[in-house]
This record gives sequence, C-alpha cells and structure tokens, in this order.
Amino acid sequence: MYSVLPMMRYPTISSSRLAEQWLLGGMALALAAAAGIWLLLGPAPTAPAYFIAVALLVLSLVASLIMMRLVGSAHRQMEAVLRGRTKAEERAIEALRKSEAQWKEVFEHNPVMYFMVDAAGTVLSVNTFGAAQLGYSVQELLGQSVLKVFPAEERQMAQSNVAVCLENIGRTHTWEICKVRKDGSTLWVRENAKAVRLLDDQPIVLIACEDITERKKAENALRQSEMYLAEAQRLSHTGSFGWRAGSDEIIWSEETFRIFGFDKAPSIKRATVIQRIHPDDRERVLRITGRALSDSKDFEHGYRLLMPDGSVKHVHARAHAVKDTSSGIDFVGAVSDVTARKQAEADLHQAQANLAHVTRVMALGELAASIAHEVNQPLAAVVTNANACQRWLKREPPDLNEVREILQTIIKDGNRAGEVIQRVRALVNKTSDQKVPLDINEVVNDVVSLVQHELLSHRVLLRLELASALPPVLADRIQLQQVVLNLVINAIEAMQPVADRPRELMIRTSRDDAGQIAVAVKDCGVGLAAENADRMFDAFFTTKSSGMGMGLSICRSIVGAHGGRLSASDNAAGPGATFQFTLPLHQEESPS
Amino acid sequence: MTGRSVPPPDSVASAEEAVVFVIDDDESVRQALRNLFRSIGLRVEVFGSAHEFLQHKLPNVPSCLILDIRLPRLSGLDFQAELAKADIHIPIIFMTGHGDIPMTVRAMKAGAVDFLTKPFRDQDMLDAVAAAIERDRARRDEAKVLSELQALFATLTPRERQVMKLVTAGRMNKQIAAEIGIAEITVKIHRGHIMRKMGAKSLPDLVRMAELLGVGPASEGPQT
Repeated sequence: MYSVLPMMRYPTISSSRLAEQWLLGGMALALAAAAGIWLLLGPAPTAPAYFIAVALLVLSLVASLIMMRLVGSAHRQMEAVLRGRTKAEERAIEALRKSEAQWKEVFEHNPVMYFMVDAAGTVLSVNTFGAAQLGYSVQELLGQSVLKVFPAEERQMAQSNVAVCLENIGRTHTWEICKVRKDGSTLWVRENAKAVRLLDDQPIVLIACEDITERKKAENALRQSEMYLAEAQRLSHTGSFGWRAGSDEIIWSEETFRIFGFDKAPSIKRATVIQRIHPDDRERVLRITGRALSDSKDFEHGYRLLMPDGSVKHVHARAHAVKDTSSGIDFVGAVSDVTARKQAEADLHQAQANLAHVTRVMALGELAASIAHEVNQPLAAVVTNANACQRWLKREPPDLNEVREILQTIIKDGNRAGEVIQRVRALVNKTSDQKVPLDINEVVNDVVSLVQHELLSHRVLLRLELASALPPVLADRIQLQQVVLNLVINAIEAMQPVADRPRELMIRTSRDDAGQIAVAVKDCGVGLAAENADRMFDAFFTTKSSGMGMGLSICRSIVGAHGGRLSASDNAAGPGATFQFTLPLHQEESPS
Repeated sequence: MTGRSVPPPDSVASAEEAVVFVIDDDESVRQALRNLFRSIGLRVEVFGSAHEFLQHKLPNVPSCLILDIRLPRLSGLDFQAELAKADIHIPIIFMTGHGDIPMTVRAMKAGAVDFLTKPFRDQDMLDAVAAAIERDRARRDEAKVLSELQALFATLTPRERQVMKLVTAGRMNKQIAAEIGIAEITVKIHRGHIMRKMGAKSLPDLVRMAELLGVGPASEGPQT
C-alpha cells in the first residue's frame, strides 16, 4: 500500500542580523579612528574643538565596545537557537520514523487487504495481510496482474470495476466480489476502491478489501432458508403475515400476496385486504379480528376471498398474539388457501350424498309394498266414497247431507295419500344438505308413518317412547329420516326369525346425560354377532343375502356429519340389539 | 263370479235384511265401505280387527264378510281358517292392496267367494256382495230344508227308516220283503207311512229327501 510521509523541513540559518551587528561595530570603530586622526592631525588644539574631538573619540570607543559585546551576545544567542532547533528536528525525525513504522505495521497487518494497482491492473503494492489472506507472499503478487486473484468468472467484473474507478478519479466505489486463493478456495470480499493520480500523473487504483465470506455465507444461508420457506409456502399454499395491532399495514409473505392475488410489496394496507374478502364474510372477519385485537388473543378463522375475476377462494387463517415489551401486540400468523381442500370436501360430500341417495332409494325399494299400501288405502277410500256420493246423488231426492259429509272425508283421504307421496318423494329426491332446527320426534313420526304396513306384515309391534319438549337439533330432515328408516328396517329384519316371542320394536327419543338428543331403536331380534361388531359400520359389509351393505355405513357418516355418534350394542336384558345415535343440540353460532 | 248375473243390489237389500260385515284396520277404508253400502241401503257393520268382529253377536240373517287380507296381528287368511274351524260359514270377500297371487289362491281354495284389489270398482264390490249374500241365503235355505227333513225323518220308526233306505235305493217291494224277512203287504204299509210322515208327494221326491239326509243309496252304487 501507499504511504504518505510528512515532508521534512531543512533548517536554514539566517546570518543577516549578525552581519548588521558587525557593520555597526565597524562603523563605530571607523568613526573613532577618524576622530583620533582629526585630533592628532588637527591644525590646532583649540580648546572646544579639541574637547569635542576627544569626546567623540571616547564615545566612539565606548560605542564600539558596546557594539562588540552586543554582537557577541547575539551570536551566542543565535548559536543556542540553532543548537535547539537541530535537536527538535532530530526528535521530529525520530517521531516520524516511529510513526511510519507504526503505519507500516498497520498497513501490513491491519486485517484489511490493501492493493495498489496501476491502470493495467498490475499489482504495485499489497500488504502482507492481503497477500496472506490469498495464500500468497507479497513478492508473489507484486508485478503480477491483479486478475490472478480472481476466479475466471469474476475477472470481467474486476476489470470493469477498475475501469469505473479510473473513469471517476477521486471517487470511492464499493462492490462485493469473489476472489480465489492460491489453493483454489474462494473468499468473498467487499472492496472499497478509488483511483488517484501520482506525481508523475499516472493514475493508480487503491483498493481496500474486507473478507465478508462469513457474512456472505450467513446471507446465503438466510437467502436459501428464505427461498426454502417461500417454496414451502408456495407448495403448501400457506402464506405468513405479521400485523402490528392497530396499525394499518400488514406485512405479508410472497405466498400471502399470491393467495390474495396482489402484487408483491413490502406491506399492504389493511383496508385493501378487507376489500378482497367476500362481502358475505367481511363482517364476521372484522368481528373476529376485532375481538382478537381487544382481547390480545390468538385467533383462527376461515373465510372466502372474492377474486377480481369473480372466482372464490377459501382461506383459513390463524394468528398468534405476540406481546411486545413496548406494550404493543403483534399478530403473527399463517393463512392457507384451502380452496382445493374445500372443493375435495365438497366433492366427497357430494359423493356421499349420492351414495346416501342410492341407499335411500334402495331402502324405499324394500318398503315399496308398504308405501304402495300407504297410498292405496286412502286412494281406495276416496274412490269408494266418490262412488257412494254418486249413489246418494242418484237417489230421489238426492241426499245432499250425506254427500257433503262424504266429500269432507274424500278431501281428508286425498290429502293423506298426497302426504305419503310427498314424504316418499322427499326421500327419493336428491336434496342438498339443508340443516334446519327440527324436532326429532317429528322425524321419527314421519318414518313411522311410512313403515306402518311393513311393521304390520312382519307382525311387529311398535312402541314409541318419545320424550316431550325436546329442544331442536340442527339437522337435515331427509338425512335423519334415512337414518331412522334404516335402523327400523334393520330391526324388523332382525326380528324376522323370531317366532317364540312377540316381535317388539321400540323407538325412544331422549336427552342424554351430556345434554345431547339421543334416539334409540331397540329390537328383540337375533342380536349382534360378536365377530361382526367391528365391521358392522363398514361400507359393503352385510350379513343379509340381499343388500349392498351400505346402510349402516351411510347412517354413521350422516350422523357423524351432524356432529353426533351412532353406536350399537346387544340388549343387556333380553334378546336383541339397540342402535342408538346422538345429536348435539342446535347452538347459536358454531366456530367456523 | 262377479261376471255372473245377480239380482240388482237393491233387490238384495229389500228381499231380506241382509247385513255386510267389514273388517279393515284402516279407518278411511272402513268408513268408505260403510258409506258405499249405506248409499244402496244395505245394512253394514264395520270392525277394526278380527277380534272386534268375534266379540260381536252375529244375527241370523244372510250376510257376508269383507276382509282385508293383511290385518294386524291375525291375517285375513288365518282368520278365514279360524272361522272355518269354528264352523262359521259366512261367505268371505277378500280385499288386498296389491295382487298377491299365492294369497289369492289360498283364499279361494279356502272358500272365499271373491277377491278384490284396492282400489276396486264399486259395482264389482256390490256385485260380489250381492253374490255372497245370495250364496249365504241359498246356504241358509238349504240348511233350513235339511233341518226340517231331519225333524221329519226323526219321526220314522227304525223299521220305516230301514224300508225308506231300501225303497229309495230302488228295490221292489218283493225284494225288500225278502231282504228283511217281512210280508210284502207289510212293506207296502210301511211305504205308505213313510210317504205320509215325510210329506213326500212321489217316489222321486222321497229319493231327493233321502239324498239330502244322506240316507240315500249314494254309497251303494249308481242310482237307476
């Protein structure tokens, strides 16, 4: 490296004052000599003139002596000054030498690599530390092209950097670049460089470089980690966010921006985000976040986004409230795009609904005779009554009172037939999931009305124990009817072989200890075979010769979808089995 | 049977106070049938179950029973068998919701007069009822005649019964006298008593009576 030493000042002794002193002394002597001569050689020693001359002579001699003395002391003083000055200069030189040695030390061993290269890139100077860092000795680098310490792919950049410095002499430039050691290993450096002109007007470039390999590694590791994170977020459709409570800005990850369909930015306005939320969900989202804000509590919720193209995305967000020392709250959270999952769930739900529909139709098929009977009875009554009316009208005189009464009956019977058909149609229809608060006893009664004849033809006595004043359950009427229907049909079939005791079927509704609604269907049939107990609710498992084995499986999934549970057990006292399902009570708001 | 010509329903009603019994577990059907039969002035009584019907004292008039084949507890067919066992010979018309061939066959074999599928034509029902009542009336008439004959037959002495049997079997007086070892003239006197006691106008008349009473020659080869 280049060192700038202070210019040494050479001492110059001025002898002008000494010469003046000598001149003054000389003049005094000359004046004395002239007065003496005038005294000696004067025409006559007149008294006044004589005295004047003597006085002049004495004065001149005295003045000379004083002068001489003055000159002498001045000389001594001057010598002393000169001596002192030389000493000071010697000390200064010593100090300089020390300083230079120190600077040299600094230059050589400062943990900064210093290079001085000429315009052609030849190394003019390098410090020991710099050379050592690259695995070279100073001698090995001096006179070499500086490109030697750069890997091939960085050389062009190194050259252009030097060129830039040379174009802007006096200005400092900074860059990061990779260098290669003698042993081939690489190191990253941050270089500060500046071109200056030497005395001979040749430009040189001074470069100070600092090893940033560790930092670079950390940076790379961080960048990689960030990349992994971003990639993982992209793969899992989960973005992250940070929100300082009460602030208008939310920090998002790249994936969050992608999920919400905004261009990447450092942060986003909360109002903008809210606009993207589906209008139907907006109020709920604001309520939940508002509550989390006021309680400083973690929150979790699902909502929909209405994208600019009209499509709808389902997202699920959860956030953790992090308390800051400065009394602030930060919400740190993750938001997942669950649209695909929702879609899959919907598809699964649809498939289950279709399957449920098929099994429902099959169950109704088993009941076809019963249902036909249920419709046929009132129909037969209607026809017969209408015939009776005709005959009353044909009488002379017609008996209109009888006709009026019978017409009432006809209307009643016609409606009864219609209701049966409606119930059957509802069961046959592919209905979408419509959960409404409903009375479980009504569901049971609907089913009972359809299986009346089935019970009759199988000589089954039905006992209903329906608890009164049960709170409503939130359920799909048709699906629950299907469950009850299935259980009742199963119970009737289970009692088919029973000949030695009355075939009794009991349907009981109640409220269990846990406050849930329970529906039990109890038969006195063959009971459950222990080896089938585990598989009973599996799809395609059946002990019947005809039957698909879907009934109980569907029942269980329907009950499960209502948040309840379907179970079966042999009766503790007496033969037969009891199938029971529970349903949670209808509550105001369930967390989404 | 419904195809057979029967007297018009009104005449059935007026002829005698016949009564129709209806057993159906369905209230609507019961009431509808009651309305129908009342509209033609036929006496009708309805029951919700076989049990209810059996509690009821049956009047001694021509009647028929309309029965749903699927009844709670006791099925129509079982009830039919039970009535037969109890020697109750009321004609039965079955109703069923849907044509059940094996059931129909069983019912008909067990003596049902008709089988109607709900919903039925009123005229079919009325025809069936008329026929059933007619049949019951005929059966009742036959039963009445028989019981009268049996009463008359009971007045005969053992010898007269013996002679009657042989006479109605177509034997000559001489053959009878030889067979039972009495004089021919005595046979003639017995014949005279028999004809008078039984109220027979002629020999063929007496033969018919013997047939009805089961004392005829049925078991003794073809009649000449």
